[in-house]
Amino acid sequence: MKLRARLALTLGLATISLLVLLGWAQSRWHSRLRVDALAEAAVHRMDSGGRERCEAAPERWPGPQGDRRLHRYPGPSRHRFPRHRVFAYATDFQSPNPDNPAFPPELAQQLEAGKDVASHRSPDERRTQVAVRMPWDEGPCAVVLMRAKGPPPWFSGAVLMPAFLVALVVILVALFAAGPIVRRVRQLTESVRKIGSAAEEPIRVEGRDEIAELGTAFEQSRQTIHAQLASLREREAALRNYIANTTHDVMLPLSVLQGHLVALQQRIEGGEILDARAIVPSIEESQYLGSLLHNLNAAARLEANEGLAHEDAIDLNRLVERVIDRHRPIAKRKQIALELAVPERAIEFTGDLTLLEQALGNIVQNAVRYNRAEGHVAVLLDGSNDAWTLTVVDDGPGIAESDRDRVLEPSFRGTEARTRHPHGMGLGLHIASDVAERHGLRLALSDTEGGGLTVELRFAPRDT
Amino acid sequence: MSNRILLVEDDVALGQQVVDTLSQAGFDPHWVQDGDAARGLNPDDYRVVVLDLMLPGTYGMDLLKRYRVKSEVPVLILSARDDTADKIRGLKLGADDYVTKPFFPEELLARIQACLRRPNLVGTERLVVGTIQVDLERREVTTTDGTLSLTPVEFEILALLARRKGSAVTRDALVDAALDPAHDASRRTLDVHISRLRSKLGNDAAQLETVWGIGYRLSEGS
Repeated sequence: MKLRARLALTLGLATISLLVLLGWAQSRWHSRLRVDALAEAAVHRMDSGGRERCEAAPERWPGPQGDRRLHRYPGPSRHRFPRHRVFAYATDFQSPNPDNPAFPPELAQQLEAGKDVASHRSPDERRTQVAVRMPWDEGPCAVVLMRAKGPPPWFSGAVLMPAFLVALVVILVALFAAGPIVRRVRQLTESVRKIGSAAEEPIRVEGRDEIAELGTAFEQSRQTIHAQLASLREREAALRNYIANTTHDVMLPLSVLQGHLVALQQRIEGGEILDARAIVPSIEESQYLGSLLHNLNAAARLEANEGLAHEDAIDLNRLVERVIDRHRPIAKRKQIALELAVPERAIEFTGDLTLLEQALGNIVQNAVRYNRAEGHVAVLLDGSNDAWTLTVVDDGPGIAESDRDRVLEPSFRGTEARTRHPHGMGLGLHIASDVAERHGLRLALSDTEGGGLTVELRFAPRDT
Repeated sequence: MSNRILLVEDDVALGQQVVDTLSQAGFDPHWVQDGDAARGLNPDDYRVVVLDLMLPGTYGMDLLKRYRVKSEVPVLILSARDDTADKIRGLKLGADDYVTKPFFPEELLARIQACLRRPNLVGTERLVVGTIQVDLERREVTTTDGTLSLTPVEFEILALLARRKGSAVTRDALVDAALDPAHDASRRTLDVHISRLRSKLGNDAAQLETVWGIGYRLSEGS
């Protein structure tokens, strides 16, 4: 059902119900007034000579009764009555007047129960009978019966018709008044329907009522949906870009690895007896490949600015040991001494375990990967939970001072960082730098005494 | 106790590789390929449990929880997922360590050996490192040449190195532990003490190694 019809019908039904209720209440009130007035009229009539006349000739009193209207009486029941009849009875409810009707038993019952005034309405509600016990208890006129028509029953046309007329007017007014509201709702519906289509426009509803508020809410939702869609599209583009970059980055070491393996195969086919060291480049490349994937994963997380997803207490001694164990096989094959020193009491630090391990792994990997055969790499963890320093010292080629700031820039957007530092060295240090910054750590590069690079990762809250 | 190691790993190629590595290293690996089969085993029958997380049947983490209810056996998680939440959850549930795939066989062995070493890290009153014995209570050092006559500083240096046998100890840590700050507590003084200590150790001096970039280490020797 449409809004306008529903509104009109609801108002109409509510009006009818209200008016019928009022009609019923009014009818009850009139009925009560009629009883009071009839009782008063009976007493007044007997007091004003009626008793004497009745007792003088009870078999004839009150004589022929035509139309008789009661005039206004003083007292609370100022009411004009239609036709009524009066009959007198003795206290035993018998009448010497043979024309009088038999005393209604329901009224007799009420009077016998001790009431002075008894009333009754006929089942069809068209006639009211009132019996009044007079102040005297003897004689043939001690009880007076009054009979009158009306009042009209509450469900009669007289009561209901005005109600229906009023309801009709209300319905018409509602239909007319709802017009502008319905028009605005339709406009709003049209605007909402256009969301997502080419004809989309901002939702505007004039006014300050609930419909305008609804329009504002729709507009806010529309803007939120737009922002979310834009963010999704951006993420999708970033994901596509990430996959493309990853594929490119992975293909490079994979090609190198394949090249190594093919060369080995050719040398074996050529009858050459290979030294175990011949396979080191392949192993190194495969390790680099794994590390690269972890780095790309970390870069994607950092680039998406996810922040530190996990803030857990990390045993740094164990973390450093794990990183060293991870790089020891390659170091051993390259005859590089990879040494480690951790304090006796384990240092605890709160941060992202994976990112920290990745960052330190990158620093150690660079120190091992770019070092010469029979070189040295030493990793020292020193300090306590409150302040600690992790130092990675190597005697490799080092990084020129002019390049140091650049390799530590915490940025790896697009392929710039990768192409700038072939073979991922830059990416690894960028990640280390970014992770350090997010953990409130200071990452510094310096020369090793006698040549090489020293990378220091320092946690000293009082410095910051 | 035997050298049995329980390996729960569903990947056949990787599982076989790990089994070969462990066998070559002198361990007795027992390889189970799904979580449900591993549920019925008693972890206390093994020295170390190497547990993959993504398993058919019972998930690795549930298995770890189950094992931890009844056993303190060292558990090493083998995870293909570079996911911090998983690692942290594993460590919180009582795993001793984890190794992320891909890994070198030596890396896994090193972590297993670290797991086995851990309970013995706390020093006793008598430390034995190769042929060198350090009696902390009597403050005596015995080598193949008999009991040595050491100065208090030399004894402190050797005691600290022996307590952390096999691990490199920084020069600063040795200076802090053995030298008197009121006197000449410098790295150079330390090197002099080490030099004297080496000469006193005689044939066993090779066990006292210089570690590049760090300091010194007392190793078991060859």
